Amino acid sequence: MSSVTYNNVIKSFGDVSVIKQLNFKVEDKEFLVLVGPSGCGKTTALRMLAGLEEITSGEIMIGDRVVNDVAPKDRDIAMVFQSYALYPHMSVYDNMAFGLKLRKTPKEEIKRRVNEAAEILDITHLLDRKPRQLSGGQRQRVAVGRAIVREPKVFLFDEPLSNLDAKLRVQMRAEISKLHQRLQTTFIYVTHDQTEAMTMASRIAVINKGLLQQLDTPQALYDRPNNLFVAGFIGSPSMNFFPGKMAVSGGKVTVDMDGFQVQIPEALAGPYKNMDGKRVVFGIRPENIHDPEFAPVNIHGEKVAAKVDVTELMGNETFLYLVNGKNTFIGRVDPRSSKRVGDDMQVIFDMDKFHIFDVDTEEAIR
Amino acid sequence: MAVAKSSFKKNKQKSVVLPYFYLLPAFLVMGVITFYPLIYQVIISFTNFESKHLLLGLQSPELEFIGLKNYLDIFTAALPVENFNFFRVLEFNFWWALSNVILHVPAGVLIATLLNTEGLWFKKLYRAAYILPVVVPPLVVATVWTNIFDERYGAMNQLLTSIGTYLGNTAPVYIRWFEDVKPPIPGFLPGAPLTLAYYAMMIANFWLGWPFMSVVATGALQSIPKDLYEAASIDGATGAQQFWGITVPLLRPAMIPAAVYGFTLSFNLFNFVFFMTGGGPARSTELLVTFAYNLVRNLRWYGVAAAFAVIIFGVALVVFLITNRITRATQNYQEA
Ligand SMILES: Nc1ncnc2c1ncn2[C@@H]1O[C@H](COP(=O)(O)OP(=O)(O)O)[C@@H](O)[C@H]1O
Ligand SMILES: [Mg+2]
Repeated sequence: MSSVTYNNVIKSFGDVSVIKQLNFKVEDKEFLVLVGPSGCGKTTALRMLAGLEEITSGEIMIGDRVVNDVAPKDRDIAMVFQSYALYPHMSVYDNMAFGLKLRKTPKEEIKRRVNEAAEILDITHLLDRKPRQLSGGQRQRVAVGRAIVREPKVFLFDEPLSNLDAKLRVQMRAEISKLHQRLQTTFIYVTHDQTEAMTMASRIAVINKGLLQQLDTPQALYDRPNNLFVAGFIGSPSMNFFPGKMAVSGGKVTVDMDGFQVQIPEALAGPYKNMDGKRVVFGIRPENIHDPEFAPVNIHGEKVAAKVDVTELMGNETFLYLVNGKNTFIGRVDPRSSKRVGDDMQVIFDMDKFHIFDVDTEEAIR
Repeated sequence: MAVAKSSFKKNKQKSVVLPYFYLLPAFLVMGVITFYPLIYQVIISFTNFESKHLLLGLQSPELEFIGLKNYLDIFTAALPVENFNFFRVLEFNFWWALSNVILHVPAGVLIATLLNTEGLWFKKLYRAAYILPVVVPPLVVATVWTNIFDERYGAMNQLLTSIGTYLGNTAPVYIRWFEDVKPPIPGFLPGAPLTLAYYAMMIANFWLGWPFMSVVATGALQSIPKDLYEAASIDGATGAQQFWGITVPLLRPAMIPAAVYGFTLSFNLFNFVFFMTGGGPARSTELLVTFAYNLVRNLRWYGVAAAFAVIIFGVALVVFLITNRITRATQNYQEA
């Protein structure tokens, strides 16, 4: 059990700068998820922590120890690879025991730990098999088991679920969360899938283009994204964005979009009062756009005219793909909504739940 | 159960006829160029066939069927040939093939592993360079190596001389690589003395043999996923432990068939032995194939040579069956 600290960590491959700068601390026993689009540097960040990649500058600490020059085997970490990286010529038992044997752990102890891990992961009946005789999900468990038996201070996972089918992925998500609670150890988990991040993490670090965008609890990221990237990346379907312009007159603040305008409730208008004429991006999540028939009552609703372009009936909710002039956006409305393709309607924007971003800096203004 | 089985059999027989029909032309060609000479050879192996019978062949009036005499003569060393002992040649032949493979495979793997190091410069150049021995004609290779081991002017003795000089011994070294019959390490291979000529051939054939193993190993090395080494390094494996724990077992499926191939190749390495030592001195480096050649080419004992060829065929068959079994038992780990 240990904390992990990235201090001004920079990484480039030759001229290509992959990690521009990383500064953050993973607390002891935390489940931290690094999330971001493909190629943003998540794997590289994790591999530097594992010691598989040199750090160009800065330092990484595990606990109080700077590990920049510590060999991977002496960092007291275990890693689950995206490919699982199981030793194909060894049985499941030997795959799990390999690291312990190298560390000269007594035979009895190896046996105890492997059996215990196999028990936890429900792979006891597979111990004699070779990796090629296992399904994807079983291999994944073995890879996790190999990490568990080592009893490391920090567990690293690099997209461990990305090779599994959708159903298995959901199941393994829950199991890895359970495992974290059971082991009470620091987990650092890399994924490009924001759903995985939201469902498993105690905190999420959103990374884009080699830079940390925001590090916070899933709920805080969702409710208060710091910038346009985080706002668009977290949540599915994504937040709707509209280019707009602030208009302040007589203490009333409105946002003028191309084709419609919405008024900001008095209680939330403070930060925008001196921004008359400023170009912004207005954001609102699909679930905060309502069919007027089923809109909640005590909200500051703003009516916006829209034409229904596509509908997706999910059973428990309905997605309306809406068009207003040049703007297209998605509403996630009550499944009882009777609106169908081609209908003209007035949707309600819940103005207690909007986001405004600076066009140039892309930072949230609030 | 029995009923089901027999009806299945019938179906199978029907479907099996057509392919034979397609194979017929190939069988005819093979019958003429392979089976006919083979059978002819077996027949004359029971005769006293010599040069004078060549004209009329089996119709020759004075051709005698002498039963197993040729075979017995070979096995009991009763042929009027100097220094000939079938079982000694057989033993030497096996040892020759085996000792080559034992050297070539580990050397090939080791060199391939070293040259596979990440970030090594001019990798492609080295790899192209070690293909070279494979493509040079064996006759050229044999000639060059024969000259290298020349008693008076050869590079090997000159090298030994300069090493000797460096160590304070001014006398020039004149080792008679191909003539000396005294084995430098007596009793190394009980029953078949290994003369200096054997060691010279080993050195020359090493030059010829390891690159092939290295090519095979390089291909196999590149198919080992890099993340296995990464996982192992996190698991705590040192470089040597990674080599023995991952590289070696994962190269095995590629190297065993290559080793088997190398064994059969060395086993019948006619050109090389023939041009370098001619089987000498005192037949100590004779292989089965070079001796068979001698029987025909120099002694013109066709009957004896035929019997000898039949014996070689039997030996080759046994070698083939064993090696084939080894190869097939080596399954690839990745295969489902
Ligand atoms: N060994 C390497 N050499 C050069 N570029 C690399 C190397 N490894 C990764 N990169 C580049 O660094 C970027 C980040 O890679 P990676 O960390 O694997 O992204 P992620 O895991 O977030 O998808 C990518 O653009 C990738 O092409
Ligand atoms: Mg990655």
